[in-house]
Amino acid sequence: MTEDISNQLKTSFLFRGLPAETLRAVAQKVGTHKLAEGDVLIRKGDEGDSLFMINEGWFKIVTQDAQGGELIINQTGPGETIGEMALLDEAPRSATVIALSNAKVLELKKDAFQEILDQRPDIALTLIRSFSSRLRFSTTYIEKAIDWSQKIAAGDYSFTENTQAIMKSGGSDDDKAAQLLSAFFKMVKSVKAREDELKQKVEKLSLQIDEARRKREFEEITNTDFYASLKEQARQLRAQRKANEEE
Amino acid sequence: MSKGKIVSIHSFRGGTGKSNTTANLAAQVALAGKRVGVVDTDIQSPGIHVLFGLDENKMGKTLNDFLHGKCTIGEVAFNIGEKAADADGRAKLSGMNLWLFPSSIRGREISQILREGYDVNLLNQGFQGMLKELDLDYLFIDTHPGLNEETLLSIAISDILVIILRPDDQDFQGTAVTVDIARSLDVPNLLLMVNKALPKYNAADIKQTVEENFKASVAGVLPLSFDMAENASQDIFSLRFPDHEWSKALRGVSQSILEIK
Ligand SMILES: Nc1ncnc2c1ncn2[C@@H]1O[C@H](COP(=O)(O)OP(=O)(O)O)[C@@H](O)[C@H]1O
Ligand SMILES: [Mg+2]
Repeated sequence: MTEDISNQLKTSFLFRGLPAETLRAVAQKVGTHKLAEGDVLIRKGDEGDSLFMINEGWFKIVTQDAQGGELIINQTGPGETIGEMALLDEAPRSATVIALSNAKVLELKKDAFQEILDQRPDIALTLIRSFSSRLRFSTTYIEKAIDWSQKIAAGDYSFTENTQAIMKSGGSDDDKAAQLLSAFFKMVKSVKAREDELKQKVEKLSLQIDEARRKREFEEITNTDFYASLKEQARQLRAQRKANEEE
Repeated sequence: MSKGKIVSIHSFRGGTGKSNTTANLAAQVALAGKRVGVVDTDIQSPGIHVLFGLDENKMGKTLNDFLHGKCTIGEVAFNIGEKAADADGRAKLSGMNLWLFPSSIRGREISQILREGYDVNLLNQGFQGMLKELDLDYLFIDTHPGLNEETLLSIAISDILVIILRPDDQDFQGTAVTVDIARSLDVPNLLLMVNKALPKYNAADIKQTVEENFKASVAGVLPLSFDMAENASQDIFSLRFPDHEWSKALRGVSQSILEIK
């Protein structure tokens, strides 16, 4: 089951770059939903707290035109993700998404996603890359993002202290690139916060070896015939080698 | 019997950086003029061949063929010094004495060996054969994570065991068991290496904490790096980016290995 979901995750642009082990961790947090034609997956204005990946079937993405009629913005199908920005910001859903056929989707909740990030801050970097490779930033935004990425890579988050002003003055609210960069920026801040937290954990973690479990696991491995003969074999091999050296 | 040293690279969990570390250590040691072999015993999920630029087309005989009695161990050796100069980093290995003993990457052969099993003793004969036939100074073994039989074998027969861990709870726990096993098997030299350490965290602190907990020396604390995640699995990172922090710390580890008499 988890294996199936990992394979499906691998087909989405967002998770493509992640190692198999991480995909499995993500897969364990993912739920699946079935929809029939006409079912509403996402309603414009609702609180966005999860990301969907289409597994089977097609959806239309709609909003309303000035007269209040349905306006289809786009259609989307297997392998595509919907609502990925919800993993980064708190903004309400920007459009309604309706099934055009029977469909199956995977759902990743924001909370589950954040849990994964807590454990694996390196995922955040892979995701930043996925986002920035897909989204079309204007040149200045690309340059900013590259500059920030390099700083993040070097562990320098100081730009988060003094960039807020630029974010406010640059671009109008409906400037998509500015919104995306601002989401990217928020994500970096949360990555940094988690990284700081983890750093503190490291010191505590070091004290958390469960000695009883350590002993139990050691005994499970060493109380086998295989182990006994291996130990003997290794002893002989070393003795032989020593004899050779002394020759 | 050969005087070459067996260096096993182990970690309790996958994704810790074993394959990248093994390839980079082997490359550094070869660059220091030593005769070096690298063997991929992660039969279930082989990975190190990619770092040396091998794909299904270039791969000839594999460790699987040897374990099934289809060829000699010498036939498995792939000469990196002659054939792998197709990327910036690897190009520096041309003319060096470095051989890779790859595991098969064909799905059918992987499932066959997992299904049928193989003689662990034969694997040991393979290791000794590699050392002898190519007169190696060092044989690096890239292992499967955890403590299955072939991994226990590679620990048991190693002269130097490098255990890689990430600074987190699960790795600490798993590493503790592995350290106990290595001591029980009388492995003569035990080195710990921390990988994926968070960049601004103080490396000296990590080193001290880990050493106190395991009573073993930490040969290097290597940073978690975006550049590594991005580039590493295509080329030998420390050769391509010799001035990178990760590469500098890695060379500290290869130096420790070279210093062991
Ligand atoms: N220090 C590091 N910083 C960031 N990514 C790393 C680091 N070391 C290894 N990686 C990445 O982690 C992944 C797993 O590495 P790999 O060497 O294949 O590990 P293993 O053999 O233990 O499974 C690879 O994608 C690799 O590029
Ligand atoms: Mg590996």
